[in-house]
Amino acid sequence: MSNIFNTPGAGTEQPITPHHIAAPGQPSLFSLDVLRGIGLLGLLFVSSWEFGGLSTSQQNLFYYGTHGGNYKLFTIVSVLFEGKMLALLSLVFGAGIIAFMQKKHPTTLATHDAYIRRQLWLMAFGVFNAFILVWPSDILFPFGVLGVLLFGFWRLKTRGLLIAALVCTLIYTGKQYWNYADDKKDYKKFLAVKDVEKKFKQDSTTRAKKDSTDRIKDTVLLKDVLVKNKIADSLAKKNDTLTKKQAEEKGKWKGMIKAMKYDSAQVKAENKAMRSKKYTDVSYHAMSRSQDKESFWLYRKGIWEIAALMFLGMALYTIGFFNKRYAASRYIGIGVLLIIAGLAFSWYRISFNNARLPDYTTYIDKHALPYDQWQIVENMTMALGYASLVIGLLHTRLLHWLWMAMAATGKLALTNYTMQTIICSFFFYGYGFGYFGRMSQWQLYFMMLEIIMVQVIFSVLWLRYYAQGPLEWLWGCLIYRKWLPNKKIITTHQAS
Amino acid sequence: MDQSISSAALTPQPVAFTDRIKSIDAIRGVALLGILMMNIPGFGINWDFWYAVTHGQRPGRDFETFRIIMVFFEGTMRGLFSMLFGAGMVLFMLNKKEAPGGTTVAEYYYRRLLWLVLFGLINAYILLWQGDILFYYGLCGMLLFPFRKLSPKWLVCIALLCVSFAMVKKQWGYNEMRQPRLNYNEAMAAKKEKKELTSEQQGAIAKWTERERNDNKPPDTTFTNRNLRKMHSGYGTIFNYFIPINVGNEVGYMYGDPWDMLCMMFLGMALFGWGYFSNKVRTSTYVMGLLLGYGIGIPVAWVLVQTGWIESISLGFGNYLDTYTSGHWIFAEFRRIPITIGHASLVMLIFRSNLVPWLMKALSNVGQMAFTNYLMQSIICTWFFYGYGFDFYNKLRFHELYYVVFSVWIFQLIFSSIWLRYFLFGPFEWLWRSLTYWRLQPMRKP
Repeated sequence: MSNIFNTPGAGTEQPITPHHIAAPGQPSLFSLDVLRGIGLLGLLFVSSWEFGGLSTSQQNLFYYGTHGGNYKLFTIVSVLFEGKMLALLSLVFGAGIIAFMQKKHPTTLATHDAYIRRQLWLMAFGVFNAFILVWPSDILFPFGVLGVLLFGFWRLKTRGLLIAALVCTLIYTGKQYWNYADDKKDYKKFLAVKDVEKKFKQDSTTRAKKDSTDRIKDTVLLKDVLVKNKIADSLAKKNDTLTKKQAEEKGKWKGMIKAMKYDSAQVKAENKAMRSKKYTDVSYHAMSRSQDKESFWLYRKGIWEIAALMFLGMALYTIGFFNKRYAASRYIGIGVLLIIAGLAFSWYRISFNNARLPDYTTYIDKHALPYDQWQIVENMTMALGYASLVIGLLHTRLLHWLWMAMAATGKLALTNYTMQTIICSFFFYGYGFGYFGRMSQWQLYFMMLEIIMVQVIFSVLWLRYYAQGPLEWLWGCLIYRKWLPNKKIITTHQAS
Repeated sequence: MDQSISSAALTPQPVAFTDRIKSIDAIRGVALLGILMMNIPGFGINWDFWYAVTHGQRPGRDFETFRIIMVFFEGTMRGLFSMLFGAGMVLFMLNKKEAPGGTTVAEYYYRRLLWLVLFGLINAYILLWQGDILFYYGLCGMLLFPFRKLSPKWLVCIALLCVSFAMVKKQWGYNEMRQPRLNYNEAMAAKKEKKELTSEQQGAIAKWTERERNDNKPPDTTFTNRNLRKMHSGYGTIFNYFIPINVGNEVGYMYGDPWDMLCMMFLGMALFGWGYFSNKVRTSTYVMGLLLGYGIGIPVAWVLVQTGWIESISLGFGNYLDTYTSGHWIFAEFRRIPITIGHASLVMLIFRSNLVPWLMKALSNVGQMAFTNYLMQSIICTWFFYGYGFDFYNKLRFHELYYVVFSVWIFQLIFSSIWLRYFLFGPFEWLWRSLTYWRLQPMRKP
């Protein structure tokens, strides 16, 4: 099996597609396909929460409770999968960028044109997936955006790529800390307002006085409004109410604490909306979440989180990590070590979250760092550990059938990912079977296992007859703007 | 990065000084100076004082200034700038020869835009200009790339597609805004007929009444004054104050409304393809562009400003929603695109007629240093208005702001001409080029 670890571009023989005809954009490394397949299927367990209506509010309930079976199961999935599968997919995507750019493409279209079009169409697929098929946590759109942004970096040397990955990681962790520091500030302001409320008379009067004198100093144009305002202020003084600013500060903190509690009304409303029989109602309801994910989430967090992993994937690709750089035992050793390190970070996150959720006020008093400070490092080490372990196992020729199946799934990544949305949305949302919020955590995972089985079997069977998955084929046709062949040409290579 | 780029001596090079198309620089200069007219209120007064301008004394100097700016310029300078950005993109790709095996022009193109995005972030978050456009242009430019070889006809089609998409989206937004009013009307009609109101109808009445009460209120002075106080403070306070505003702007415009920029960029690419900016079109075509552009655009603009804005204030928001099934602003592109083309034609005609060669020379100097001048406007205006500088924030009346604009214009015209006598590029252009090619570029004029 050693011939499956071809150097990029040089390989012609592959166990899955022996004839290796023009497969636009598919990086030809077997290990990348396997890892993509694993990431894609593992992602389902995390996605099942949002698809199935296990909202954050309900997840928090597990932390409050007696830490029974539900809590344990949730923790296991959170430790093993949450964020790690996205990280794994990002690693592979990053490596794929260089693989794509280095590969010789059998067309007249310049490689960079094919590359950019590929990313823009990926964004379009993402928009379709998010808004039409209704999957707010779609990752195709962010991946397409990152693909465009990272294009200028693909020629960087390993060191440059590692520095880029480090910078992105630092920015991400810095932002996590910064958000926490903001929370702390809000808490301090809240305490201050509390103090004011205690000794109301003196304090609020002087404050209100100061506010209104400042107003006179500052205002140039709105003089008539100002008089009214002054009257309102003096009324407020008499009644000993908080100034607007103080009330806001108090409300902000209280709202934040409330948002962390279990809110049955909110869960009910969400269930009702997602179980609506009308497609338009459900898609309209989910729309704002999709928009938020594609805009604010991407701008604030997603870019740094995904880019860090993609840069890392690119750096690893340049040192031949996805080929056969080390001996199998070394890969496995590195993998195990990294997973252990990742588990340590997970332990930090889980135990600190246990302290945070029931009583954020105490947490903020006592802790210098937020519970998710190292989340990106956790994801990174775990994903890298998984990758290393799997590549090591690939070398040992153990579980050969499993890797073949995973590679098939990974080759059809776009098809399978979209199919996951189609299956889950029809199963869970109201315009389909409407199981949203009706299944327990165990049942959700069981359901996901079934989908995984279906997808693996489908992928293996499909690739027996076709060179590419249906959506991968469509993608290629859109990029090259012509109909490409997709039938598998049976050649003598198949025996190998 | 350094090894990979500097290894190839044949790498693509920046546009040589002599190759520049002077007419494009002149239009860019006009756009660059003109954009300050639109930006100055953002630098100098608080947004809540639009209320004072639009509701204030009529006719007054503030009000007339506001009306002139709105009718003749609003959106058009940004439009010109976007058009030239699209044209510049094509120019950048055309001008360079690929070096076999080395870094491709496409990669330089994307690196250049990434740096532009970074400059935009600096302009917004560090120089504290919340109206920055560099960020959006950098990202939009990344979307334009695959379209660079399309024929002008197709580019116009795509531009129109962008316009229609934006219009559909805005109409949708308008319908959503209008729905509560329609529900209210229905409920009120039922009330008049003395029918028993359902709880939904009562809710509709309450919801709209609340909305109308909030709309009719002048801006909340506590809030305004708190913000004013911040603007009169030091750098740190303003820096923190601007962070959420910048986040909201950059996400909101980039994700919510890039169509406004993209349509103009596509149009600019098309017009460039036809030679419109490079002085290659017949004089009669420019005259036609001027007449049609202003002829269509200005009347539309007048209607949009007069009935769509000024009269709708006295009409009241509820009546406005009752009267119109579409908001006036949805049709803004019908004003903006013609007027922008009118402006471009006017500049081209003056350029060709050789009436004021000294002015055109000065303008093309400004345009050649557009990037420097744009950032310089941020630097000058923030220092003039913000608390850590000369602290003129909200101290000038609306029409007085334009005295500042004239001063900056004169300064930039003179500065650019002097600078370009000694140097090949503006300072920030030089920095940008050096970063893009990751090698120090020549600066002094030989």
